[in-house]
Amino acid sequence: MILQMIGCHHRASGVDVRERLSFGKEQTSDALVRWRERFPEAELALLSTCNRVELYAVGSAPETAPPAEELIDALTSYHGLPAKGVEGQLTSLAQREAVAHLFRVAASLDSMVVGEPQILAQVKQAYQRAVECAAAGPALHDLFQSALRAARRVHNETELHKHRVSVPSVAIADFASRVFERFDDKRVLVLGAGEMADETLRYLKDAGAAKIRVANRSWERAATIARQWEGVATPWEHLWDELAAADVVIGAAGAKGAIVTAAEFDRRVARRRQQRPLFMLDLAVPRNFEPDVGEQLGVYLYSLDDLAEACERNRAARAAELPAAERIIQIEADAFMAAAHRRLAGPVITGLRRNLEQPKQAELERLFNKLPQLDEHARSEIEQFADRLVNKLLHPPMESLRDASQEGPPHGLLEALRRLFRLED
Amino acid sequence: MTSGINMLCFTACYAIALTLEALGLWVRAPGRRLVAVVATLTGMVAHTWYLAARAGQSPWAPLSSVHDWYLAAAWTLALAYLGFVLHSPRALSGLFLLPVTLGLIAAARWSSTEPIASFQAPRVWGQLHGIFLMLGAVAVLVGFVAGLMYLIQSSWLKHKRPSGERFRLPSLEWLERVNGRSLAAATVLTAIGFVTGVLTRLAQRDAGGLTWSDPVVASLSGMLSWLIAAECFRFAYPAARRGRKVAYLTLAGFVFLVITLSAFMRGGAMHGTTPDNGDAPLETAPTRLSPPQPEEAGKNASPQAGSEAP
Repeated sequence: MILQMIGCHHRASGVDVRERLSFGKEQTSDALVRWRERFPEAELALLSTCNRVELYAVGSAPETAPPAEELIDALTSYHGLPAKGVEGQLTSLAQREAVAHLFRVAASLDSMVVGEPQILAQVKQAYQRAVECAAAGPALHDLFQSALRAARRVHNETELHKHRVSVPSVAIADFASRVFERFDDKRVLVLGAGEMADETLRYLKDAGAAKIRVANRSWERAATIARQWEGVATPWEHLWDELAAADVVIGAAGAKGAIVTAAEFDRRVARRRQQRPLFMLDLAVPRNFEPDVGEQLGVYLYSLDDLAEACERNRAARAAELPAAERIIQIEADAFMAAAHRRLAGPVITGLRRNLEQPKQAELERLFNKLPQLDEHARSEIEQFADRLVNKLLHPPMESLRDASQEGPPHGLLEALRRLFRLED
Repeated sequence: MTSGINMLCFTACYAIALTLEALGLWVRAPGRRLVAVVATLTGMVAHTWYLAARAGQSPWAPLSSVHDWYLAAAWTLALAYLGFVLHSPRALSGLFLLPVTLGLIAAARWSSTEPIASFQAPRVWGQLHGIFLMLGAVAVLVGFVAGLMYLIQSSWLKHKRPSGERFRLPSLEWLERVNGRSLAAATVLTAIGFVTGVLTRLAQRDAGGLTWSDPVVASLSGMLSWLIAAECFRFAYPAARRGRKVAYLTLAGFVFLVITLSAFMRGGAMHGTTPDNGDAPLETAPTRLSPPQPEEAGKNASPQAGSEAP
């Protein structure tokens, strides 16, 4: 197996390069079909996300595997870019390095936010798309299955994924869930319709939020984001009524000063709420809610600074889990490479066995013809004796092959066996 | 077969569970919570066995003595702990509930094992009186524990403290619900217990009505009055149904309960007697107001339900 990975990722390439090389769903399928024609004997898979574009190619032998330069040309020429234009921005990995890289990617150790869960699904989709385009074969199947297994092991055997690090996810998982038992019956009010609002709504939706209200100065943008998250857009003028009815409020609106002052909250909202618990998350800069609003009974108000400590602590907790996760990746990569090397020895082992089986059968026939008085039991014993003898003769070369496979492709040993036992291809 | 089952068996089991819960504050040991639950379940089996043996020995059991009454309350609270664990497996509920359970067992250890005087009355009323008051007391205790957890969780949230990996509590919403329901249940159960107590007294021969000078009756009346007032307050003032106010109401209920239980512990066996006509506890056995000596404990506490039981 000759494995090659060509691509760009957030650690080595700028966002401009990643943008120019990125592939949409349709483009990925189209590119795979084209590359399949260009490299008919290779297996191919393309992983394209916000943070990376990576092309994996596997050939059964050095002469059938596409060289790195050809793969770079395929990747860049699809977008009409000259290869020189991205020189120095692309990463090229081969064999074990490429295997370990894919395993790290699948386990989210190579992600911008280490431990984020979306990447595993994206790796699965990349393989699935390669299968649909008939670009994947047994070698890629083994590679991606092993990558998924490595990712699962990292997920199950370390606590890497348990610690959230983005502000909205920490706010929902570490704070809001300590106020509320469930979110499906809670009224969520989002002020603003920007990226932060969008990201927070994703986590709230994951937590089960179903009653979503979006208020924004621009009605169209409020309606768009409300539609996206199956919520309802509400006029900005109804802000105080919505605040009185809400259980969770997300402040993500652009404003020059606080939208909700403590005095206004006290006058227009507090009495109507009757101290009903209210979780307020202020993600805006400048802040949407005056800090004194959090002094009201039943109000739990958090700003970006309040959550920074929790995020930092979770980052440190994740970092502490990294060595264990890396160890799993190394073990899985070694196991995958050893298995791949053993597969190289398959034809030689088959030939060896055949070379010994044929004389065994011939000698058994000759013996049974000479001794026709032998009963079934005696014949069976003699056959078992012959089988055991063949297995014992094969055992030492098999062990040697297995040992040699741990260190790399056992080409020298395989050649020696071929010549010693006169094995034909 | 009750040989070997005594108070030490289930006390040790609950203590082990509490130790394991406390260890969770410092050590991350997989399966720790499971072992704590198994220890509690084992303790409850031994506890049930002990109570059953006591019931077999007394025609008025269970709940016929202060000792049994405390143990039955402890058993119910241990069951409540399992309920808490089932609902919030990662929360350290045991750290709050198990000390109260052990406290009740300790109270049982130092309480009289003699039948309470009011059990001279028709059995059914006496039983109902004991059961409802015991359940009402457990409801107050559950509310107290939930209220305590609510105040800690609320304070941490107000001070923006992230949830510790090793010290987790249930959500405020759930604790508030448990708090409110405990308060309501405590009021109803204590009221029924009080009414059945009055009926018990009325059904007694030669009884001269309620003896308000009885410390148990006086403190119980105080607690019931507080619980009814708290419920009326919650009904009239919606803000009192939520948040810290419910927690404060249940904490105050706990103070009343402690006063009632102290009175019960000190003079429980005399509860229901009429000083004027000289009513005495059943079988005229002396009421033990001081802790039993080791020899006495051997005779009166564990062996009653233990190896010497038939």
